[in-house]
Amino acid sequence: MLNFIIRRLGIAIPTLLILVVFSFSLMHLAPGGPFTSERPLPPQVLANIEAKYGLDQPVYVQMGNYIWGIVTEFDFGPSFRFKDRTVNDVIAQGFPVTLTYGFWSFVVAVSVGVSLGAAAAIYHNSWLDYLAVGISIGAQVLPNFVMAPILVLTFTLWLGLLPGGGWNGGQWQYLVLPVIALSTSYMASIARITRSSMLEVLNSNFIRTAKAKGLSNKRIIVKHALKPTMLPVISYLGPAFVGMITGSVVIDMYFSTGGIGQMFVNSALSRDYSVMMGITILMGSLVIIFNMIVDILYAWIDPKIRL
Amino acid sequence: MSMVPNTDRIKEMADNLASMEPIKGRSLWQDAMLRFLQNKAAVTSVVVLALVVLFSFVGPYFAVWSNEEIDWSRIGKAAELGAPSIANGHFFGIDNLGRDLYSRVIQGTQVSLMVGLIGAGIAVIVGTLYGATAGYFGGRIDSVMMRIVDILMSIPYMFVLILLLVVFGRSLQMLFVGIGLISWLDMSRIVRGQTLSIKNKEFVEAAVATGVPSFTIIVRHIVPNLMGVVVVYATLLVPGMIITESFISFLGLGVQEPNTSWGALISEGAGTIAYGTIWQLLVPLFFFVITLFSFFFIGDGLRDALDPKDR
Repeated sequence: MLNFIIRRLGIAIPTLLILVVFSFSLMHLAPGGPFTSERPLPPQVLANIEAKYGLDQPVYVQMGNYIWGIVTEFDFGPSFRFKDRTVNDVIAQGFPVTLTYGFWSFVVAVSVGVSLGAAAAIYHNSWLDYLAVGISIGAQVLPNFVMAPILVLTFTLWLGLLPGGGWNGGQWQYLVLPVIALSTSYMASIARITRSSMLEVLNSNFIRTAKAKGLSNKRIIVKHALKPTMLPVISYLGPAFVGMITGSVVIDMYFSTGGIGQMFVNSALSRDYSVMMGITILMGSLVIIFNMIVDILYAWIDPKIRL
Repeated sequence: MSMVPNTDRIKEMADNLASMEPIKGRSLWQDAMLRFLQNKAAVTSVVVLALVVLFSFVGPYFAVWSNEEIDWSRIGKAAELGAPSIANGHFFGIDNLGRDLYSRVIQGTQVSLMVGLIGAGIAVIVGTLYGATAGYFGGRIDSVMMRIVDILMSIPYMFVLILLLVVFGRSLQMLFVGIGLISWLDMSRIVRGQTLSIKNKEFVEAAVATGVPSFTIIVRHIVPNLMGVVVVYATLLVPGMIITESFISFLGLGVQEPNTSWGALISEGAGTIAYGTIWQLLVPLFFFVITLFSFFFIGDGLRDALDPKDR
């Protein structure tokens, strides 16, 4: 097990490095530095500013400093657009919001998806099964940027039940629509995967043996069928997490929740490279670490994987 | 009862046999085709998709307003005067800038379909060659090549894609490059898996024994045998590419005005639902949804038709 974790770290760390180097070099290739404006600055002033931000040093030194700053002090440097803010300020402001509704979306997607899928498999070919299959087919064509306006149209404009945007400190009314919009398509995928996996498990020999022993249905499902059913579901958690992290950009933009995705798009539109890079690296690291945890969890449940 | 057979009958049978057509064998693809045609959802989807494509080519000939014309008499009054109407030539209504939604939707359809097809095309070519090479050579080459894919896959590419678009300017070409960079990863994995099972077959051994160079073996003997998987996966990739492009355009970082795409149109419509111009959301959404549905059903149908496991 320890060996596996070490090997998995051996993938995660180079991936992180590649991500940092890639985004850093991209930023350097960008036409126009952060201080080129319509009115050219006097060369002396420009040189002073560049010296202040360390831009007069060779690229590899800058990159080294940048990585060193992140690793030792969790410091992503100053914002290039707003002189009074650092990237850390931006992250500190937006990240809790994204984390809150992201967490709830993940919980909803997994719990509802697994229950729906399992129920569909247990009551195979019943109305519940057809409902689950219908939802999972329909949700394929309803990604978050389609769900969001449809939800607002229904629940805000027609029914007038829920606010169509804003955050208000994370009150539950403001959470409902973002969570549904973000979680639906992943909930549907998880339901589909759980259903087909459970159907396969329920038809396998060891379940037949359990039935022959005279175990109750409930015991068979909880004790024997659930664990092998979860394997493909767990391997989907990684992609689902990535999808939700990316989807949060749309949720933030459409519902104006003030999360990190909104910061990202705004910085993209105003070419605030350092903020973009900071957010990319932060989200990338989250994804990479999460994928690693999922892999380790998978290996823990299914020892065959460790070989 | 005589033991002598009825010679007339025998002769008749012989004549019958002689006049019979030789039985034709059905190729793998004909077989698959037959199975596909029995799948009603898939066949309907082909028709729907054909209609959408036809609409994007023939539609402009019926347009009263071009996509660049502004209807000055209705500008700024989309909610009151802009609803879809046959009488004034705005079949799908207008937006608040007085632009005709019918022409805009046609333009968006063309762009979105093109992005989908080109993205999937790059994935097919690069992914197939990459995956087949890795799978065929195996060993260290395989593990290095696949490790690269692993690493690229675990990066949240949407952020990197947006970074690329911001740095190199938001153009359609850049969008293609960006989507092309990531679209082939899944394909290469699937193709590699298939190649591993094909490469030990006798016909590959025969090719090796007769001294065919590796690259030729891959292109001439391995890749044609992968086509089933590739076709199925490519059909499922097209909607994925369309969703990716729409996602970026929804954020306002994709195609730029006056160009448009489904994502950009949905985004515009989604931003104006509060003003009562609901057609601005529903029309592009309708085309988006039916096209995606069609691709998914066709992909499922093809998988059922071509997947050897289900036979």
